[in-house]
Amino acid sequence: MDFIKNIKASMCREIRLIRQRPVCLIAALGTMTFCMVFFLTFLKDGVPGELPIGIVDCDNSSLSRNLTRQIDATQLGKTIRFNDYAQAREALQTGKINAVCVIPDMLYDDVLSGRQPTITFYVNTMYYIGGALAYKDLLTMMNLSAGGVQRELLKAKGMDEEAIMGRIQPIVIDAHYIGNAMTDYRAYLTGTLIPGFLEMTVILVTVFALGSELKYGTSRTFLENAGGSMTAAITGKLIPYTILFTIIGIICDTILYRHAGFPMEGYLCNLYLGTFVMILACEAMAVFLTGAMPVLRTALCISALYSILAFTLAGFTFPVEALPPYIQGLSTIFPFRHFYLMLVQETVFGSGFEGWYPQLVSMAAFMLLPAVTHKRLYKACELQNFPKN
Amino acid sequence: MKKIFSNIKHWSSAWYGTFSEELRNIFNDSGVLIVFFVAGLGYPLLFGLIFKNGTIDDMPIAVVDNSHSLAGREFSRTLDATPEISAKYHCANMEEAQSLMRQRKVHGIVMIPEDFGDCLARGGQAHISTYADMSSFLYYKNLTMGTNMAMLHEMHRHSGLPQPVRYEANLPYNRNLSYTIFFIAAVLPIVIQQTMFYGVSMLSGTMREENRNMNTSLSGRGAAYWLLYMGIGTYTLSLVPEILGLPQNCGFGSIFVLLLFYVTACVAFSFTFSSMIRHRETVFILFLFMSPICLFLTGFSWPTSSFPEFWKIFSYIFPSTFATRAFININSAGAGLGLAVPQLTALAVQTIAYYILSNLLLLRTARSKTPALCPGLESGS
Repeated sequence: MDFIKNIKASMCREIRLIRQRPVCLIAALGTMTFCMVFFLTFLKDGVPGELPIGIVDCDNSSLSRNLTRQIDATQLGKTIRFNDYAQAREALQTGKINAVCVIPDMLYDDVLSGRQPTITFYVNTMYYIGGALAYKDLLTMMNLSAGGVQRELLKAKGMDEEAIMGRIQPIVIDAHYIGNAMTDYRAYLTGTLIPGFLEMTVILVTVFALGSELKYGTSRTFLENAGGSMTAAITGKLIPYTILFTIIGIICDTILYRHAGFPMEGYLCNLYLGTFVMILACEAMAVFLTGAMPVLRTALCISALYSILAFTLAGFTFPVEALPPYIQGLSTIFPFRHFYLMLVQETVFGSGFEGWYPQLVSMAAFMLLPAVTHKRLYKACELQNFPKN
Repeated sequence: MKKIFSNIKHWSSAWYGTFSEELRNIFNDSGVLIVFFVAGLGYPLLFGLIFKNGTIDDMPIAVVDNSHSLAGREFSRTLDATPEISAKYHCANMEEAQSLMRQRKVHGIVMIPEDFGDCLARGGQAHISTYADMSSFLYYKNLTMGTNMAMLHEMHRHSGLPQPVRYEANLPYNRNLSYTIFFIAAVLPIVIQQTMFYGVSMLSGTMREENRNMNTSLSGRGAAYWLLYMGIGTYTLSLVPEILGLPQNCGFGSIFVLLLFYVTACVAFSFTFSSMIRHRETVFILFLFMSPICLFLTGFSWPTSSFPEFWKIFSYIFPSTFATRAFININSAGAGLGLAVPQLTALAVQTIAYYILSNLLLLRTARSKTPALCPGLESGS
C-alpha cells in the first residue's frame, strides 16, 4: 500500500513542478503541433505535379511541338523552352528544372524517312523525388509517342484497333499499390515521421525532467518524497508525462488516419496500443540513459544524437535489409524501428495481433532497461556526486 | 591620430580577449564538445556507413505464373535478370504469395494470367498484374522499374516493329538513382548548421544561467566559432565526400568560398536564435526537431517547385536552405561557383540581417534582468 502512496506523492510533486515550470509541456505540445502542421501542409499535394522540364527544340517542326505539348499535358510535367543547350544545362545544374529533353534537328524528316532519330534527355537525380518522377514521366512519354507514330503507320496499312495494340504494346502492366493506392507521399512520409518525432520528444523530455532533479540538486527531496523508493519516485514522476504523451499520440493517430484519411487496412485501436507501448519503451530508454550518464547535459546530448539516428535507422526511407549487415543489428536498439514494423503490419497489411506481436514484445522488452542502471541512478540521486554543469 | 590608434589597440585587445575566452569556454564544456566533435565530425561518417549501398539490388519478389506457358516462364526469367528484382519465390496461387508478402519475405508480387501465352501468340494484348509493397517507396520504385524493363524487353521481341524514334536517357549526376549520393550531399551542410546552433545555444544558456556578462563583442565571440567551423566545415564538405568516395565535381577553392559565406551566416543565425534559450539544456527539447525539418526545407527530396508558398518563405530563415542547394549544385552537379551566386548572395544578406538582429537582441537582454535559474525547482517541493 505504501508503494502506491509513494507513487501518488511523487506524481503530485511532478504535477506541481510542471505547473511551475512548463518548459516540458511547451516543448512536447509545440514540437508535435508544429510537426503535424508542417507535414500535413508541406506535402499537401501528395504527389508533386507540374515538375519543370526543359525543352531544347532544335527541330521546330509540328512533330516536335506536338511532343512538347504532350509532355506539358501530363500531370507530372510542365515544359520550359530553352533556346540552346548551354542555358538548359545551367538550369539543370542549379536544380531549376528537373530534366532536359533535347529534340534533334531534322527530327520530323528523319521520322518520315525512317532514319530513327534519337531524342536525348538528361535528368538531375540529385533532387530525388523530382528527378525520379521527371524521369518516369519522360520515359512514359517517349514510349507513348513512339507508339503513336507506329499506330498511324499500322492504321494506314488497314489493321484493326485490337491487332494494332497487340503489335505496339503486347504486354500491359496493371500496377497495384498495396497500402497506398495513390502513391501518396504525404501519407507515406507523415505517417511514419510523426511517430518518429513523438519518440524523439518522449526521450528528450523524460531525460530532461529526470536529469533536472540531479542538475538542480533536488534529487534527494525527489527520493524522500517517495519514501526513499527509487522505483516509486520514477514511476510517479513519469505518470503525468505518460498520460500527456499518450493523449498527444492518440490525437495524432486519429488526425492522420481518421481526418486526413491516410490508408489504414487494420484497426486504429491497435495503433493506439502500439503508440502507448512505444511511449513506455522510449521512457524506459530515457531512464536508462539518465542512469548511465547522470549528468543532464551529457545525457541530453547523447539522447539527441540517439533519437536523430532513429529516423535513418527505422528503415522507412531506405530499407534496413539493404544496409550493411553490421548496421542492420544496430537498428533494433530503437523503439521506433519496432513501432515502424508494427505500423506497416497494421496499416498496410491489416494483419492484426498475429502479425505484430513480436514487435510489441520487443518494445515491451525495452522496459527492462532501467533495471540495469537502477543502482547507479539511485546512488547519483542520493549522493549527488556528479558534476552539475 | 594617436587617439585613434589607441582606440583601435584597445578595441582589438578587448576583441582578442573575448575571442580567446570563448574558445576556452568551448573546450571546457563537455556537452559542447560532444555536439561539435562527436556529432559534427562523427555523424557525416556514420551516415556514409549506414547508406553505404545506395540502392536495393535484387529485391525478392514472388511470381505467380498461372499461364504455365513458355512466354510466362521467359517473362519471369527476364524479371529475374533485372538488377532491381530477384524472382525468389514461384507461387502456385495468389494466397501463397500474399502470405509471403505479409511475412515480409517478398516486397512485390507479379501475377501472370492464364491467357498470357495465348494472347501473345495470337497477337493480342496480354495483361500482367503487379502488387507493390508500399511500406517503403524504394520497393515500389524497384518493382516498377524492374517490371517496366522486362516489359520493354519482351515487347521489342514480340512486336517486331521498328522504333520510329529512339531515346537516350542520361542521369548525369547520380547515375543509378543512388540513395547515398543524394542523401549524404544534402545532410552534410545541415550537420554544420545544426551542430553549431546547438553548441552556441548551450554556451549562451550557460552564460545566462551563470549571469555572466553577455554584453561583450559579438564579433569576438563569433570569430571563435567561425574559426572552429571553418575547420569542421572543410572536413565535412571536402574531406568526408573524399573518404566516402562520393562524387566531387569541383575544386576545393569553390567549396572554401561557399564555406566562407555559409559558416559566417550560420554564426550570425546561431547568435540570433540562441538568444531565445534561457537555460543550457533546453535547446534540445525545444529545437532538436528542426533538424529533419531543415533537411526537408532544402528541397532535396520534395521538389521546390511543389513547396507551398508559406513554407517557401519560411525556408529562407535558414542558411542551410541556400547552402545545401549551392553545395549540391557545385559539388555534385559541377555547376561552378558562378552559378551559385544567387545562393551566396542570399547567405550574405542573411549574415547582415542576423548580425544586426543579434546585436539588437543583445541590447534588449542586457537591459532586462536575467530570470531566476529555475523557479520551479527552487520553490517547489
